[in-house]
Parts: sequence; C-alpha cells; structure tokens
Amino acid sequence: MIGVLKGMATTMKHALDGKTFTVEYPETAPEVSPRFRGVHKYSQERCIWCRQCENVCPNDTIQIVMDDQRNGEQYNLHVGQCIYCRLCEEVCPTDAIVLTQNFEFVGDTKDDLAYDKEELKNVPWYKDIDPLESREPDRGSWIGEGEGEVDYQ
Amino acid sequence: MSLQERSPAEPDVGVTEDGLDYDELADLLGDHVLDREEHVNAEGFVIRPDEVEDVLSTLKERAGFDHLSAVTAQEYDDRYESIYHLKKYDDPTQELSVVVPTSSEEPVSQSGASVFDTADWHEREAYDLVGIEYDQHPDLRRILLPETWQGHPLSNEYNQTQPQVVTLREHANPLQEDKQSPQDPDTMFVNIGPHHPATHGVLHVKTVLDGEQIVDLDPDIGYLHRSEEQMCQQGTYRHQIMPYPDRWDYTPGGLLNEWAYARAAEDLADIDVPEYAQVLRTMSAELTRIAAHMLAVGTFGLDLYGDFTVIFMYAVRDREVVQNLLEDLTGQRLMFNYFRLGGVAWDLPEPRQEYLEKVREFTDELPERLEEYHDLITGNEIFQMRCIDTGVLPPEVAKSYGATGPVARGSGVDYDLRRDDPYGYYDELDWDVVTEDGMDNYARVLVRLQEVEESAKIIRQCLDLLEDWPEDDRTIQSNVPRTLRPDPDKEVYRAVEGAKGELGIYIRSDGTDKPARFKIRSPCFSNLQTLPVMSEGEYIPDMVASLGSLDIVLGEVDR
Amino acid sequence: MILQATTLTDTIADVLGSLGLDAANPLVVLLAGLLAAALVATIVLLNAALAGPWAKRKITAAFTDRISVNRIGPMGIGTIVVDSVRLLSKELIIPEKADRPAYDLAPILLASSALLGFAVIPMGSGIQVADPEIGLAYVFAVASIASLGLLMAGYASNNKYSFLGGLRAVAQNLAYEIPLVLTGASVVIFAGSLRLSEIVAAQQGTFLSLGPVAIPNWFAFINPFAFALFMLANLAEVGRNPFDIPEAPTEIVAGYQTEYSSVYFVLFYLGEFIHIFLGGAIVATLFLGGPAGPLLPGIVWFLIKIWGVFLFTQWARSAVPRVRIDQLIEIGWKVMLVLALINLLLTAIIVGVVA
Repeated sequence: MIGVLKGMATTMKHALDGKTFTVEYPETAPEVSPRFRGVHKYSQERCIWCRQCENVCPNDTIQIVMDDQRNGEQYNLHVGQCIYCRLCEEVCPTDAIVLTQNFEFVGDTKDDLAYDKEELKNVPWYKDIDPLESREPDRGSWIGEGEGEVDYQ
Repeated sequence: MSLQERSPAEPDVGVTEDGLDYDELADLLGDHVLDREEHVNAEGFVIRPDEVEDVLSTLKERAGFDHLSAVTAQEYDDRYESIYHLKKYDDPTQELSVVVPTSSEEPVSQSGASVFDTADWHEREAYDLVGIEYDQHPDLRRILLPETWQGHPLSNEYNQTQPQVVTLREHANPLQEDKQSPQDPDTMFVNIGPHHPATHGVLHVKTVLDGEQIVDLDPDIGYLHRSEEQMCQQGTYRHQIMPYPDRWDYTPGGLLNEWAYARAAEDLADIDVPEYAQVLRTMSAELTRIAAHMLAVGTFGLDLYGDFTVIFMYAVRDREVVQNLLEDLTGQRLMFNYFRLGGVAWDLPEPRQEYLEKVREFTDELPERLEEYHDLITGNEIFQMRCIDTGVLPPEVAKSYGATGPVARGSGVDYDLRRDDPYGYYDELDWDVVTEDGMDNYARVLVRLQEVEESAKIIRQCLDLLEDWPEDDRTIQSNVPRTLRPDPDKEVYRAVEGAKGELGIYIRSDGTDKPARFKIRSPCFSNLQTLPVMSEGEYIPDMVASLGSLDIVLGEVDR
Repeated sequence: MILQATTLTDTIADVLGSLGLDAANPLVVLLAGLLAAALVATIVLLNAALAGPWAKRKITAAFTDRISVNRIGPMGIGTIVVDSVRLLSKELIIPEKADRPAYDLAPILLASSALLGFAVIPMGSGIQVADPEIGLAYVFAVASIASLGLLMAGYASNNKYSFLGGLRAVAQNLAYEIPLVLTGASVVIFAGSLRLSEIVAAQQGTFLSLGPVAIPNWFAFINPFAFALFMLANLAEVGRNPFDIPEAPTEIVAGYQTEYSSVYFVLFYLGEFIHIFLGGAIVATLFLGGPAGPLLPGIVWFLIKIWGVFLFTQWARSAVPRVRIDQLIEIGWKVMLVLALINLLLTAIIVGVVA
C-alpha cells in the first residue's frame, strides 16, 4: 500500500503548489525560437525566378508559371500541402522566400490555403520578427562563398 | 567482439578475427550458392527459390545467424528478387544477404517463415506490395492493403495513375461467421479498434474471446499505409527524401529516423561526416529518444490508469521541454528535417552558451522527474500487480520474431546497435546498455525509464564536448555535390537504433539521383508480430497493457 | 438521547398548516413530502451539476499542472450551462437492435436510485425528508438498484463492449456490496439503531480532549479501520479508480455507456456523480458525524464533508491505476470480505464488553 500512498502524495504535491505548465493562449502569445518554420513570405523584388525552390520541393507544393519570354508570371505555394521542411528557403540564392515564425493562419476551405503571389507577399511577421535577422545566414555549403550581407527589404 | 561461441563445442562457421569469412560460409552452403554479389554492407549469396528453407536453417544453426533483419522484395526488369538480410544478435556487424531471384512470369519462392518467425509478416508484405508468392507460408494474405485490392503497387506493371476504391462491403472479413470460431461455440469475436482510445493509432485487432480471456488474436494493420517507400523512391537523395523519415516514427523519434536514412545513403555514396556534426547528431538524436520514451511511458500509463490521470500529463509536460529545446535547435517541434547528407543543417543556436545552459538545466532536472515517475508508476503496488507476469515474451521467442529495442532488452536480449554496430559518436562516449530480465510489461517500462537516464548521460557528455570544441573546427556539413548520383547497382542495408528498435533502410541505386528501391525495416512492424504470442490466454486489460508496452507507432508499422 | 428528529416533511406540513391547510390531513402531508423531496433533490442536483462539468475538470487540472475551464463566467462556472446545453442538444442515436424498454429505463434507473437514497439522509438544519426506523437498510437497498441499471444498459445496447462492461459492473457491485454492508453493520452495533438520525446523534459528544482541540465522537476516530474499509468499498461501489473497470475507456471504450448519447448520456454522467455524492453522504452520516461541526450551520458542514469525499475520489482517480477485473473480484471476496467480518466481530466484542 505504501507505493500507492506515495503516488497519491506526489500528485497532491503537484496540486497544492499551484504552478501550471500551460498558459492562456491567445492572451499569452507563446515564444517561438528564431528558427521556427512557419508560413512563407515571398519577396518579388528579390526573386530571380531561378526555379530552384520548385525543383527541390519534396511534394510539388510550389508551382511557378512562366510566360513565353520566360518571365515569371505566377508563384503559387499551397501552404496547406506544404510540409514546412524549409528546403526552398535553403536553396534560394537571394532569400526571396523565407519561412516566418507565423503559425496563425487560417482558411475556410482547402483552396483558400493555396496562396498566390499576392498573398505570399502579404504574410505578416509573427510579433514583427524578421526571421532572416534572427537566424544566422548559414548558407556556406549552398552558395559557396556566401559571405556578403544580404540586405532584406 | 568477433570470436564468439554458441556452444563450447562448436564455433560458428565463418567467424574469424577480422570479421566474416565469406568463403568459408560459401563452402558451408556448397552447391546452394549459385553466385555471389557484393553489397556495400555484406556479401550476398544467390540461391535457388526452392531452397530457401535449407539455406536459412543451415545459416541459422551452423553459422549462428539468428537475426533476420528484413526481407526486401523488388522487381527488376527481368526478374523478381527477395533478399533476406541476416545478422547475429551477438554481433550485428556480421551480416549476410541471401538473394533469391525468381522469374518474372511466375514469382514463387519458398517461404522462410518456418526458420525465422520474422519472415511471416515480412513475406506477407512482400507479397502484398511486390507480388512475390511464398510457398509454404503459413498464412499468405495481404497485410498493408485491403483484402480486395487489385495489383501489387511496387511492381513494375502496376498502373500508378488508376484510382482504386475499395468499399467497406467488399472488404471481406476472414472470419466470416463473425460470432464464433468453429471449434469452440462459447467464444465471442470482438473487433478492437481501429477507432479505439488505446490502440496507439489506427490498429485493428481481431480478438476471439472466451469470457474475458483471449483465445486468438490477429492484428490487422495497414490503416495508416502512406506508401512512404514509394514516396522516397520519387525524391532525390540529396534533399527531397530527408523530410520524410521524420514521419515514420512520429512520437517524435524523428532525428533517429533521419539518421537511419543518412547512414544508409552516406554509406551508399561514400560520404564522410565531420566529427563536429557527429557530436551534434548524437546529442540531438538522444534528445528525441528521451522524448519518444517519455511519450511511450505516458501512453502506457494512460492505458493502465485511465484518462485524466497524471502520468500522461507529466510525461507530456516533460516531452514539451525536450521539444522546446529541439525547436531552438532545428526549427520544428516534431518534423525536424535537421540532418543532411554529410552532416547537419545548422549549428547550435547563437548565443551558444545560453543554449548549452538550457540543455544542461534540462538534464539536471531529469533525475528528479524520473524519481516522480518511479514513485507514481514503478513503485505503485497496483501497477506492479497489473504488469508483472503479464505480456511475457521469452528471449528466444523475441529473437525468433526479430524483436529489437526496449522490447528485446526487456526480455534480457542484450542487443543495441549503438554499441554493437557503432555510428555517430557513441563509441567514444561512456554509457551503458540497459537490459532487464523480467520479460514482462514491467521490465519493458523499467528499461525505458532507465534508458532515459542513459540518454541524459550521453547528452551531458556531448554538451561538454561541444562547449570545448575549437572554433575553427566546427564544420557541420561536408562538401556534398548538389545532385548526388551514386554508382549504379549498388545496394546497401544499414540500420540504426531507433527509439523503438532496429530501424533499417535498404537502398538500391540505379545511377540516377533517385533510389530505385527504398525499403524500410521498421522495428514496430516486427515487434507487433509478437503480440499474439504475448497475449494468448490473458485478459483484455493485459492485452491492452502489452500493446502499450510494445510501444508501437502506426506510422512506422504501416509506413 | 434517542430523540425523534423533526423531518423536513413535518416542517413543511406545519408551514402549510399555518397557511390554513389541515396539517393532519394525509394529502397535505403528501404535498409537504413532495415539496420536501423537490427541495432536497434540487440541492443534490445542484451539487452534481457543479461537480460534473466544472469541479471535476478544475480538480484534475490542479493535479496535472494545468489551467482548466476558465473562459466562460468567473473561474469558468458558466461552463456548466454551456455543457448542459451542448449535451442536451446532441442527436439521440439509438442502436438498431437495442432492447427498447430496457435501453431507455437503464439511465433513469441509475439516476433515480441515487436520488431515492438521499431521501433519508439527515443533512442538518432540519433537512431530512423522512426518517424511517430502517433508514440505513433502505439507503443500501436503494443504492444497489443501480447495479440493475448497469446490467440493463450493458445488455440492452446490442454491443459487445457494453456487454462486457455490464457484466464487469455487476460482478464488481456484487463483490463489494457485502463488505460495504458489513462495515455499515458494525456502525449500527456502535450506535444501536438503524435510524440515521440516531446514528448521527450517537456521534455527538467528545471522544478525546487534546488541549483546546476536542475530537468529537465520530466513528471515524473511534474505529478508523472500519472507516478505511468503508471508503474503499465505497470507491468500488460507485465505480471510481482504482475500481473503474466497468467503464474503462482504454479497454472497452466506454463500457455500458458506449451506446448512449444526448439525454441518456447526461443521465448516466450525472447519475454517476449523484452516486458519488450519495456514497459521500453515507460516509458522512455513518462515520463523520453527519452535519455536526462548530460555528457553521449543519447543512454547510454536511456539504463540506461530501465534497471532501468527492475530492478524495478525484484524487484517487488521478493517481491510482485501475485493477484488473479478476484481481478486483479477488480483492473483494478474499480480502475485503474477510476484513469486514473481522471488523464486525471485533466491534461486537468491544461493544459487548465495554457497554
């Protein structure tokens, strides 16, 4: 019986010390780490339409449409289908597509979550944090000599 | 580690100081060996399809190969092939592959299930997905796909684009008269699952009950089959496959699964991993192992204590702390995608010291939390009454079913790939392998709780190493070309110690940048096979407890 | 010392008499009785409604380091209303081949048997609907009608899980009824009567004076062994951890409750809580002196005591694993029965020698 009583004493201790592990969301917005992979944000100024992101995406989430002169027309990313692996961000040579820390996005239907260029450009930062500054650019093995500062607009 | 004896009188054939002597083994088998192949991890002996049983039993008895790791099936252009990957429990670096080719028109080969019980389900899966029929198999029917599925998805002539809809009405129930088994009219047939609070996922167990005792048990899996193997065959080695291993054992054993793939692909393509990356890999993998074991213990407590009880909540709370640490390191809490071929994606987050302090704090608080678990779980008399001597799995049965991981170590089988087949930084750190002799559910829970302590030990040592590592030596990824095309016709089978056991991956390359065959040997698949053995004659609550202590993850069982 | 306590019925009959009705007319007494029963039932149901959707969640959350319901109303009390509306507005799904009259009657039986038991419990401040000579036997008899309800629910649902759950429930109730009654009988030997008001009255007076603290004459202090046994048997009777195997959610999904939805489910859910409170009321009356206590009025102390027992069941539920059915029956017949008989024997000897 002692074991049972010890177990009961342990739980009572937890009850009486009043600490909770949970927080009241959304009043307390949780802290996420700088490396957290949330919704993508796209910058048309940076994008050079090299299509590396489309190439590397594991499940064909990014769809790029070019016109006859190979100018980029559409950049579609289905954030519902995306697996948030961040390979597109790793591959992009100009930091045009970045995974923000924003996880608070909703859609009424699945098709609402297929973001086109405009929606991707307008994704808000989570708590106004620009992730590129908080993550050290770690791209030496990708671009080769990636020493220069990439100033994100 | 190389010279071993099974009985004092007769040493195993082929064992020498430097590893296996394949010529001696080929001589042992004599005429059976038609040809010898060279795989990256071992040699392969090609034999005739109707001699499988002879060859396997000779190898098991005379040469000491008592662990059938996996049965890989694939279809080439001109033939089908099954490969039996053999290892030894005492020394898993001694490997041998037995290759059984069969013709394209009539792919029939003899079953190895009479020699190794592991082969039972593995061959069923080979039949289901590839289409090879196994003669004299005790129960050859589909395992992952529904009974009435047409075609074999991983064979070459399967039409990938044609949809197939299998309606419930046509899904034939093997026990037709679903009330009784023919011998004993006093029994009752109950479906446990797939919608059930305690089956750890969508698992369907067909039980035949006599009162409350179980007479017969038949697990029916395949509800979470996502054709992971095929998805990995459609992705490039270099990047596209790496997010997927996270999703096999999602409890989260993500980094351990990624390591399995990384190890196999790096051996295939001869890629080195810098030492700093090895330390990072070891540390993060052990963090996921702690998280996985916490969830295993928590859900086991859930099965036994009921919902709204404290065990599950405390375990999940501790797991959250680990997930926070991993989020700082990798960016995600469950699907990490942290490893890359040749190293890891990121170094420790800046500022380094702060992160190291956080992890140190976690490992320092861990003994106190484990004390709580021991108070609540292992010291509780009612828990002991429920768990001791239930779900008994004798070590010989565990070995013949290919059980690995905490399930085998709870039965006294001393098998841990981190020590026996070292990779990463494990062989340079100081830690022990935990085994218990109880053979029951209680022993398995004890093994898991103690393994958490051992993982904490490893993490502490890694932290000290990382802190003192010289700054200019911190390469996290070796130089790997962007498209990786390994040489054609290279085959490798490599395994790591996942959270649930031996997670093995077989890759065959054909010169392109995508694998030609990608086979996953999942530990839960082989562990789940032992469920009927463990629960016959016991009560339903014991069966639920055994299922919880086996700690299966349906994502890994069904892939 | 043996006084006839005034029951609530009498009080209300007097009130009605002062309003002009003839207090001796049996119809007026009947009306008074119905009014008294309605009042008591309201008190009990209020308690159960508070306990079910709100208190249970708050208490389990405290044990597991969480903040639980706290959005609707102050401290989340509004959840009770929301939950009730939600549960009552669900679709009533009746399985195809359910045995209809039994299927419908089972939840009503469960809930009403507990409420019937409250009819004779003295709750202090004069709130007691009736005070028959055989009060204690009546309470035990009525509370065990619930086993019939569980069996009906399990069998009539046309579901193998419910069936297993119902059988387990009956086996468990049978096994633990006898130790319960025997331990209750030892209290009767102390008090000398089956009438509940006399049992309460027998517990007045001081047992020991330790300086300024006067330990009252409660049977829990005189015979703590019987108290522990009774609490344990009570846990088994109401079906709470460690004895909640009839409705073990992780094995047989919900046991006898599997096929019930909407109103029937509400009746089962509330019925279980009313049973817990009834068990607590019996414990309070037999062992904790009923409504006795300094300063506060009797009814308040009584409520405090039954909520104390409720807290104890929630505590046990959070921390103790459940026992397997065969182990449970073994404990019931082999351990508890023997201990209850020993207890009874010792009590009889002591009372015979001392008094």
